[in-house]
Formats: sequence, structure tokens, C-alpha cells
Amino acid sequence: MSALSTNVFAQARMKWLLVVPLLAFFVVFFVIPVGLLFATSLNPQAIGQVAVTADLTLDNYLRFFSRSNYLLAAGRSVILGVIVAAITVVVAYPMAYVIAKTEHPGRNTFLLILVLAAMQLDMVIRLYGMMVILGDEGLINQMLRGLGLIGAESSVQLMYNFMGVVMGLVQFALPFMILTLVGVIRGIDPSLEEAARSLGASRRRAFLRVTLPMSMPGILSGSLLVFALSISSYIVPALMGGFRVGVLPIHIFQQVAEGARFQFGATIAVILFVLSALAVAIYLRLGRRHSGGLA
Amino acid sequence: MGFVQFKGVTKTFGKSVAVDTMDLDIARGEFFSLLGPSGCGKSTTLRMLAGFVAPSTGSIHVHGRDITRLPPEARDIGIVFQNYAIFPHMTVFDNIAFGLVERGENRADIKRKVDAALDQVGLGGFGERFERQLSGGQKQRVALARVLVIEPEILLLDEPLSALDKKMREEMKFWIKNIQKSVGITTIYVTHDQSEALTMSDRIAVMNQGRILQVGSPVEIYERPNSRFIAEFIGESNLLSGRLTAGGVRVGDTVVPAAQAQGADGAEVALLIRPEQIRLEPVTEGEAPMLTGRVADEVYQGALRRYQVETGGQTVTVEVPNRPDLAQLPPGAEVALYWTPESGVALR
Repeated sequence: MSALSTNVFAQARMKWLLVVPLLAFFVVFFVIPVGLLFATSLNPQAIGQVAVTADLTLDNYLRFFSRSNYLLAAGRSVILGVIVAAITVVVAYPMAYVIAKTEHPGRNTFLLILVLAAMQLDMVIRLYGMMVILGDEGLINQMLRGLGLIGAESSVQLMYNFMGVVMGLVQFALPFMILTLVGVIRGIDPSLEEAARSLGASRRRAFLRVTLPMSMPGILSGSLLVFALSISSYIVPALMGGFRVGVLPIHIFQQVAEGARFQFGATIAVILFVLSALAVAIYLRLGRRHSGGLA
Repeated sequence: MGFVQFKGVTKTFGKSVAVDTMDLDIARGEFFSLLGPSGCGKSTTLRMLAGFVAPSTGSIHVHGRDITRLPPEARDIGIVFQNYAIFPHMTVFDNIAFGLVERGENRADIKRKVDAALDQVGLGGFGERFERQLSGGQKQRVALARVLVIEPEILLLDEPLSALDKKMREEMKFWIKNIQKSVGITTIYVTHDQSEALTMSDRIAVMNQGRILQVGSPVEIYERPNSRFIAEFIGESNLLSGRLTAGGVRVGDTVVPAAQAQGADGAEVALLIRPEQIRLEPVTEGEAPMLTGRVADEVYQGALRRYQVETGGQTVTVEVPNRPDLAQLPPGAEVALYWTPESGVALR
């Protein structure tokens, strides 16, 4: 009896060992770097200096909040994240719904592979693909010229602007949103919709009153994921915006890679981090409301 | 004419036939059970009536109106699901109000009706709770209140007791039956549990492999089953093999009187006798027994004693109430078996 109970306790203790590798990885590659980032942001500006010093100041933050172009960049990042998340939800939901309601295993797998296939290529390659379509000499502009809708020498600006960045990010974020939503929609008991129907709700009403509200946890967590991916993306604003859309990651890159101003770059990064954390806080608040008072 | 009618309804899924040319007539106000093992087509029948699946062929009528092609929301049929399907994102109040809101009723009426429904199912004061704050029995009551509040023409119950523990199940059986009687609603109850069907139903349809084998009152189904399948599926049964003969069934060397003993002389049949309908006594010179045998085994079960009696190479199970005035019959004892002639049913 005592041998057995010791064993059970030993097993319970052993279970914690399973998280050690991940925990170690997390500490070394996330907690420490982010901590150093915070520390660096509090160091006075010193061009070319990477090392953290004990000399602490809030100068970098004062500089950030006193310059309108940085505040505008922060606002632009948030608006970008919100718009991308909103568009992605609207585009992804129908697809996710179809996948979730497809019971035939072969067809279901096929649809999921289609979604995942979009993630198989590196973002840079996918963005160059989009340029072929959206560029000044791209397919759409050629088509418009061919149809005589615009002059032979002119073109419609489809990229190297805010909309170009939005489109790039939406196509980047779609698979994440779809996969999140599929999981949640699949978890909704089909008899709930049937109950709503037999209580007098049309197909549309049953969707609006039962399926959609019950999808809210997925819509919220998917949006949060897409928001975080969007505001932290550097490559999409760089390629699709051609450095003309000044969001926070572009400023970080310019400070660090072009100006070697690590301290101010770190400050912008911390502010980006705080924006993401704020989004998580808002999400938790909304999530609590949608789970019926108890998160 | 039946209030609910199935006319030649067949439902196939790919190559498998879930329901096979079903004809069914259910009267207004009746408590009607569809009873059968899992996969017999009873749930598919219910789902066709609710409008969730369309019949492959045939038609379904309610009150003389063909509803075969109507969507669920146009049928005026309420359903309580096996898992209750309480909307988890709504309070109990909003769950019960759901159908009234869809009918566009005003807020004052909704409030009054929902409160009355909550009282009717004994859940007054539970309106602000959520599904996860309810016990199984309470969910059951909410699901029923949600349906009854819209006063549908027909109530469908899909194995509503199977998720409850045994004690709660017994309690809810009578509770549901009482509510059904007081509301007077035509009710169709799907179950695989014969005791639920026998206790609650006005009539029962026993199904197997997509077909209805017999329709009748609980007494008819239990005491006059029309097939071996039903005799074995419902209750405990002794099925003694024998041959039809004038005046009954020949079991071994003895001729035993039996009901439903039509058929050619010498045809092979099974003689059904329920274990509790047999009287077991020591062999005496008096009244001639139906059969005689020897006690092979005795099991004490508290309220009753259960004997295995060997007679002519066949074993008969007998249940005897545990009463001190009845003779103790130890294994090995020679015994006489008595039953009234109507208790024996010859089945093909």
C-alpha cells in the first residue's frame, strides 16, 4: 500500500519534469531576451552600443511620446492590426464553417490541406507572388489597361500603400484564423442548431442566435492571434508597403539596422509588446462576457 | 385516422437502410414509444418527424397535413434531445424564451410564460443560471420547459433519461409521464430501455433493423409478443422449443396449452413463459402440473429467489417472491411447474 502511494506521488512529481524542456527553452529564448530588451530601452542613447548598462533613464520613452511621427506609427500599427483581423474574420469564417461541417473524412482532409498549403511557402515568396498580381505592371493593372478602363501609361496604386500591406497581411493570417475557427465551430454540438430550428428559428436565425455567438471564443482568439501577427510583422509592410507605410516594426528596423540606435529600437519594441499585451487584456475581458460570466 | 401518420416511409444512407417502408398511426394525445436496440432506426424515425432528415421515399402527415417537405421551424414539433442541447451561452430564462422570441411575442408575455414554465417544471428562481450550473435532472427540466412553453402540437423525446443516474431516471420517468398527461400533448418517446417504454407508454412500437415488428399496449407487447425477438428483447423470458400440436405445444413428452398456437401440426415453435408467471411447488399428487423438473440452481436476490429448473433437457428460469410461506426448494429437489394457460405463448 505505502509502496503504491509513493509510486503515485513519484509519478505526479515526474509529470512536472515533462514541462522542463519547454520551460528552459522559453526562459532562454523568450524571457531573457525580452528582459534585456526592457533593460536596453531604459539605457541612454548610445549609437552602436549593444551591451546593457546600469545607467537607467526614461529619455527614450519621452522621446517616443513627444514625436508625432512615432505616435502616428503606433496608431497606424493598431489600426492595421484591427482592420486585418476584421477582414480575416469575415473572409475566414465561411471557409472554416464549411470545413467544420464537412463530415466526409476525405473531403475534410482535402480542404484542410488546401488551407495548410498556403502556409508551406515562405512569406517572402508569397509576397513576390502577390506583387505579380498587384504591382504597377501587374496582372490587374494590365487587365485594366487592356479593357481600356485606365490609360495605357497610367496604373492604379494597388500596393506600396496601406491597402497593399493589409492585403499581404490578410493572406498571411488567413490560415491561422481558419484553423482557429474550424476547431471552435467543430466543437459546437450540432443538436444546438437543431434545437433552435425546432423551436422556430430559420436557418439564418439559428446561425445568428446560436452558432455565431458560440463561435465568439474562436473569433476572439483568432482575431487576437491575427492582430498580434499583423502589428509585429516586418516583412509584409517592408515588401508590400515598400517602406512607405510607417508602422512600428519598420521604425524598429530603421533605428536598429540603419541607425544602430539599439536603445531607441528597443523602446519601440517594448511599446509594440505593450500594445499586444493590451489586446490580450481586452480579449480576456470580452472572452469572460461570452463565456457567460465565468472565464 | 391517426394524428401523426407515416406512409411508406423509407430512409437510406448510402447502401444501408435505416428505416424500411414504415407505416405508423399515432393518435392525438397519445404517449407513443419507439422501442428497439441501437441502430434499429428509431432515432432516424424521430429525426424525420422533426424535420432534420428527409425521408428517401414516403410521406409524413400531421393532422392530415403533409409535412414531409416542411423545414423544422415550420412544423410546430418540439424535441428534447438526449444531451438536452441547452444553449450554453444563454441563461435558463433565455433558453426557455428562445422559441417565444422567434415567434415575435412581446416582452411582457415572454416573461409571464417563461416564469410559468419554470414553475411548472419546478425550477422557479433558476432563471439566471447557466447550463453548467445545473444538474442533469435540472437540464432535463429546462429542455422540457423550453419545448412546452411554445405549446407545440407534438413532443418528441429522444432517449431523454439515458444521461441520468438510475435513481434520477426512476424519478424523471414518472415526472415526465405526469407532465405529459396534464398537458395532454401527443408525445413520441424514443428509447432502448424496455422498462421506460412499459412504464410510460400508452402504446409501443417495437423496432428492429428498420422495421416495426409489433405495435401495441405495454400489456400486449409484454404478454402477447408476436415474435421471439420481442419476447427476448422485452423482459426476461423462457423460450422452450417444442412442436405445435392439437391443444397446444408439445414440449418433450408433455402437451402444454398455449395462446397464438395457430399453424400446421408439428411445426417447430418456441413456447414463451415469463419467469415470474411460473409457480414452483414440490411434486404432489394433487393438480397436474404443466411440467415437472429438477432444481439445478437457486440464487437468492433479496426480494425474490431465482431458480434454474431442468426439464427434459431444457432449462427454465423461475422467479419466486421471497415469502416465508413458500416452500424452500434446494438444488436437486424434484419440482412441479404451474402457470395459467394464458401465460404460455407459442412463437414461431
